[in-house]
Amino acid sequence: MKACRSRLLAPTLAGLLLAVASPSAHHEILAKFDEAKPMTLSGVVTHVDWRNPHAHVFVTVRDREGRAVSWAVELDSPIDLQQNGWTGDTLRPGDAVTVAGIAARDGSRQIWRRSLVLTATGREVLTVAPRMPPPLLAARPVPRWPDGQPRLGSMPGADGYWAYPTRTALVEAGVAAEMTPHGLLTNIADAPKVAPMQPWARALYTERQRRFLRDDPTYLHCKPPGGPRQFQQPYGVQFIEDRDRRRVFVLIGGGNNNFRLIYTDGRPHVGQVGGDDDNPLYYGRSVARWDGDTLVADTQGFNEDFWFTNGGLPHTDRLRLMERLTRVDLDTLRYDVTIDDPGAYTRPWSSAWTLRWVAGEDMPRHLCQDNRP
Amino acid sequence: MRHVLVLALALSWLCLAAPAAGSAQEGHPLKGSWLGTWAGNSTHGADIVVVLDWDGKAITGMINPGTDNIAIENARLDPDGWVVHFEAAARDKSGGALRYVIDGKIENLHLPTRAIVGTWKSQKQGGEFRIARQ
Repeated sequence: MKACRSRLLAPTLAGLLLAVASPSAHHEILAKFDEAKPMTLSGVVTHVDWRNPHAHVFVTVRDREGRAVSWAVELDSPIDLQQNGWTGDTLRPGDAVTVAGIAARDGSRQIWRRSLVLTATGREVLTVAPRMPPPLLAARPVPRWPDGQPRLGSMPGADGYWAYPTRTALVEAGVAAEMTPHGLLTNIADAPKVAPMQPWARALYTERQRRFLRDDPTYLHCKPPGGPRQFQQPYGVQFIEDRDRRRVFVLIGGGNNNFRLIYTDGRPHVGQVGGDDDNPLYYGRSVARWDGDTLVADTQGFNEDFWFTNGGLPHTDRLRLMERLTRVDLDTLRYDVTIDDPGAYTRPWSSAWTLRWVAGEDMPRHLCQDNRP
Repeated sequence: MRHVLVLALALSWLCLAAPAAGSAQEGHPLKGSWLGTWAGNSTHGADIVVVLDWDGKAITGMINPGTDNIAIENARLDPDGWVVHFEAAARDKSGGALRYVIDGKIENLHLPTRAIVGTWKSQKQGGEFRIARQ
């Protein structure tokens, strides 16, 4: 390795410089941008980079000395922009714009948009409404299989998925702790309240919060959002019930669009093929049974290579989840979870939220492999 | 010439990427396999491998598994400052009892390749201690 490095020092240094110049992508905007650094800039669009997870507009601005300086304006995801009427052609090279927003923490020439106005018309072109669930007119009955068991997924021939979780970060039931949708606490002093953490876990959680969640491996390294986090993804989950083989596929709308398997065939809690208990997994191993209209899943065998919550609560490979999935009506899925991890917490604890059925649509396609600054 | 340059660039990136290719460890920060040095150790050599584990109550582990198999004792992690302490009972070359005491701090806690940096000492020697998680 030493020889390799010494012979190739020059290109390595060049690569290192490139790497340093490219901050890591993240979905928690405050990980990268500082609310205490508001700024406005006016310039001319040179390029629109229409890619996940966030689109970027590059703008040339004249500095005080009249020199042309390039800035990157970070926007919402193309999925959210498209849902609000944007396309990759809404802005074109040559358009003069004024951008107001907040600047990057690291001092680089990047700005997170708050508003984006076309200079020629004075028209605000960046209007992204918060994603809201469709209005619920009346409770519709739970769709069921011919044997009366609730359907977790779509009816035949219909699209649909679950999204809009009423909680987007894991917090113990009954605890009030204000945080962003990505789990960043408004008040860091609330950290000990979030869950009954052991001292090391509380310190690690607090450290992750202090770093604005910028180390989240789901966004840095495309790690799957295992555990309860899969039900708190911005682009939802989908259930495919394979009744012939007595298993449920949970398709994940975030991460890298991978899936989790829940076995309902009565198998014991061992590995998936001949036993792989020494092969801990991102989604663990799940066996489940129906308790009335509720699917009760028992999951263990998690690895420690990911964050199992938005917000960065730690877990260990001793984590065991008891999850209860109940389709309350056609449009509502209740998710109850008990976290039992004696490696990180002082006692078992619980949380719950609901998700809304998004009828007539397939899950938005977003691959975390697309992540970049 | 261009091909050589491209190859050199690719290899250089491999050189950079290789040390960071260790699996992530987002659970207990001490758990895992660590590689490094305890400088000036003439009994067990300057290179050291440390394997640490966490069962929810205690930190356990081994120094130089497979070669010296020195069990770790009295391991502690103080999250306030991420201060690490552990001890180990070993034998010197003449069979005499040797007690190692390692004190350090975790550096770069947020990285999979975080390090424990500090000092080691025994009845006979001491020096700098640095191991990085693999």
